[in-house]
Amino acid sequence: MLKCTINGKEIEVSSGATIMEAYHKLQEEIAYYCWHPGLSVAGVCRMCMVEIEGNPKLQIACNTPVAEGMKITNESEKVKESVKWTLDFHLINHPLDCPICDQAGECGLQEFYMTYGKYNPEMGDRKVKKHKVVDLGSQVVLDTERCILCSRCVRFTEEVTKTNELGIFNRGDHSEIGTFENRPLNNKYAVNTVDICPVGALTSKDFRFRQRAWYLKEFETTCNGCSTGCRVNVFHNQNGLFRVKPIYDEAVNGHWMCDEGRDIYKHINLDQRLRHSKAGAQQVPLEKALETAKQALKAAGSSAALLITAQYTQEENQAILDFFSNELKSSNIFYWKNNEETFEDFDGLLIRGDKNPNTQGLMNLLKEKSASGSWKDLKAKVESGQIKTVLVAGPEMLSVYPDLNEKVTVLSKTQTIWLSTCEHEFFDQLSLQLPVSGFAEKNGTYVNYAGLERKIQAGVKFVAEALTLQEIVSAFRGANVSKTNEVAL
Amino acid sequence: MESKLLTEHYDKESFRTLKGYQELGGYEVLKKALKMKPAEIIATVKESGLRGRGGAGFSTGTKWSFLPKNDEDRYLLCNADEGEPGTFKDRLMMERAPHQLIEGMIISAYAIGSKKSYIYIRGEYTYPIRVVEQALREAYDAGLLGKNILGSGFSHDMDVYRGAGAYICGEETGMISSLEGLKGQPKLKPPFPAVKGYLKKPTIVNNVETLAAVVPIIRDGAQAYRKFGTEKSAGTKLFSLSGDVVKPGNYEVTLGYKLSDLINNEGGGLKSGRKLKAVIPGGSSAPVLTAEEAAKATLDYECLQQMGSMLGSGAVIVIDDSHSMVDLLSTIMHFYHHESCGQCTPCREGTGWLDKMLHRILLGEAKSQDLDQVLNVAKNMMGRTICALSDAAALPAISFVSKFRDEFERHLKEGFKEGKSHAQMHH
Repeated sequence: MLKCTINGKEIEVSSGATIMEAYHKLQEEIAYYCWHPGLSVAGVCRMCMVEIEGNPKLQIACNTPVAEGMKITNESEKVKESVKWTLDFHLINHPLDCPICDQAGECGLQEFYMTYGKYNPEMGDRKVKKHKVVDLGSQVVLDTERCILCSRCVRFTEEVTKTNELGIFNRGDHSEIGTFENRPLNNKYAVNTVDICPVGALTSKDFRFRQRAWYLKEFETTCNGCSTGCRVNVFHNQNGLFRVKPIYDEAVNGHWMCDEGRDIYKHINLDQRLRHSKAGAQQVPLEKALETAKQALKAAGSSAALLITAQYTQEENQAILDFFSNELKSSNIFYWKNNEETFEDFDGLLIRGDKNPNTQGLMNLLKEKSASGSWKDLKAKVESGQIKTVLVAGPEMLSVYPDLNEKVTVLSKTQTIWLSTCEHEFFDQLSLQLPVSGFAEKNGTYVNYAGLERKIQAGVKFVAEALTLQEIVSAFRGANVSKTNEVAL
Repeated sequence: MESKLLTEHYDKESFRTLKGYQELGGYEVLKKALKMKPAEIIATVKESGLRGRGGAGFSTGTKWSFLPKNDEDRYLLCNADEGEPGTFKDRLMMERAPHQLIEGMIISAYAIGSKKSYIYIRGEYTYPIRVVEQALREAYDAGLLGKNILGSGFSHDMDVYRGAGAYICGEETGMISSLEGLKGQPKLKPPFPAVKGYLKKPTIVNNVETLAAVVPIIRDGAQAYRKFGTEKSAGTKLFSLSGDVVKPGNYEVTLGYKLSDLINNEGGGLKSGRKLKAVIPGGSSAPVLTAEEAAKATLDYECLQQMGSMLGSGAVIVIDDSHSMVDLLSTIMHFYHHESCGQCTPCREGTGWLDKMLHRILLGEAKSQDLDQVLNVAKNMMGRTICALSDAAALPAISFVSKFRDEFERHLKEGFKEGKSHAQMHH
């Protein structure tokens, strides 16, 4: 351990730590653009200048190791002047098109201008003209005039995805980020470059021009796109969910997430949702639907069956499994495994073939209940007439259940109560459909592939009649279910 | 007075061939060196006071001693990129005495324990490249390179690498990047090349003239070398004298020689009827000296540093009263704008900004406050970047504008008088 003093405050850091790391440990403010904790040090933006006692030359915090007894400050006039000027150098050729820039409101240039700048611009010469609206690939658009050449995106494709699509072309103030001929930025993690871009140079095709950053609220949760379970922030307002960004979780996803995971917000929005209970194609009131379901299951008793997917929280799984084993005394519990051929796939970074957020958790509970039935077993029992009533805890993400239609076709021949977050024309063949909450509308726990528990959080509520499995079980037990208001929480 | 320690035989055509070089004692010093202990050679070079001739003037022996003391593979790189405007001495050395460089390099490589070296020559030097490559073939054929050199047990391979003509590739870590096949951009330090350089291995980068100077130092000993020059600037140095003198060219003189003597004796003085206005003593990045300063200056590291300038690469550019300082600075600024690699923000943006301001000033589309703005921008580009290019651009801007402010002010009022300028042609 090494002792040093930062802005008058003493701190101990591990040997080899940089001054930047010491600043972060102490939560002292320091300006930077090119440094990123998940990437190598580039040391090019020159914003993180600090003054070290006994050293006449300012040093960059990101590449200077702490030495024992070092006295460091970034509050001296010399440092402030340097940061102000370096910020000005960043801005002299910047188009200052904040009113039409997607990054406005969450832009590093705006932020540091308000903290360290607030000078009158002195640049009276013509700005450098560069390429605008450069299509980098399927996900990302580049504005090279807004770019401050921090090289974070280049380092990301070099070091994280190792796909090397991006480079800096030309030199001096004509330098531009770009892709090589016939090699667009189409890797499965491309949108991370948008997240780490400190300015509005890289924008996401999915998000750009759809919302102003300051009209969005956010909440932390866990991605339900696959069994990795990346920690994410979901951004929303009363009009729906708009984007998903990763949150640092060392044990799970580090700083990143995949582009597929960025789409998980879409099915939560109203246009895809099952908004009411239905008997066949006919809408029925929620209370009536719940009563019908309850009566059907009670009548079937121990012959009632549960078909369950790994798309629900641990709390929900527990509630529904307990209801079957304790109240219905049924051991007809069957696990619906999707995309079996690719289930074990892993791309070496984050993407897993198991497209369920809670397979591990469900497996643990099924083991406790000694339930080992599969879809094949259920199908045989339905076709032989042994099972006549089935409750399906259906998938929230319909797109990763390509075998959906087959299941519906088989089960439409019997009395089936299907729980679903989203609407599907096929479901109208079923006896009963009940809307359930999506991942962004409930609290609970997922257990990821490695057995790590991560929480999800109710941030919004778009469908008034959507219930969690716990609420449905409570209703079966006789509780009154009141409709919640359809508002973003 | 010229002191020809390195250039004594440069006028002999045969000196560039192995046979001719050996007839004049060539590779005898290598034989002597191979019998010495490597540490002895390093100590001798340190003691000789030899300082890097590429521009920075850092003690060569000290630089060598930064290498880790272990068996790790290490590289010796000869910097023959010679990009500093006004400098053309390395070119002469490679054309006239390629074997002197090769001999110096083998001795240096033996001293630092390197099995492989590269001579990084700027791409525009097509002729020196041919000469050096020819000399390397001769040296290999004579067993002076390759396995077990002269039966000493020491093996060493040497190659020429052609640069693509970027100023920044003369910066040692920029050169290393280029040699690695990357874009020529300086690397962040630490780690320094002596610890982690070419291919992440310990690496020493030395200028052509520095490596060649190792030959007389080992031949005659450190004390003999120290007899030339001053206490802090030992030995002789080649100066590339250019500009408004009668006899421009490369001249080897002892360090500490008077600048005015170089101009008037070796250079044959100014053209008749002309008055000295200014001298750039160490390449375009060295702050300009006024005629009064030039009259007092001696050509050594300490004197020029004291005057706020530097010896640099030894490129002395003489400026007489027929030139506009505005025009010259504008040309220099255009050069640095063009050559900034663009990594560090203050340099990338600052060099462009200075270039644009100087162009406006040249065209008379500026006010007196713009001169202050030039000083302000330049001052804030200094000491804040990975390499010295930003400072190299800022220093001439500051020295030209502050030392010749009157001329700049007059130019803004009265406009450009000396006809079409170089800078106007560039733009």
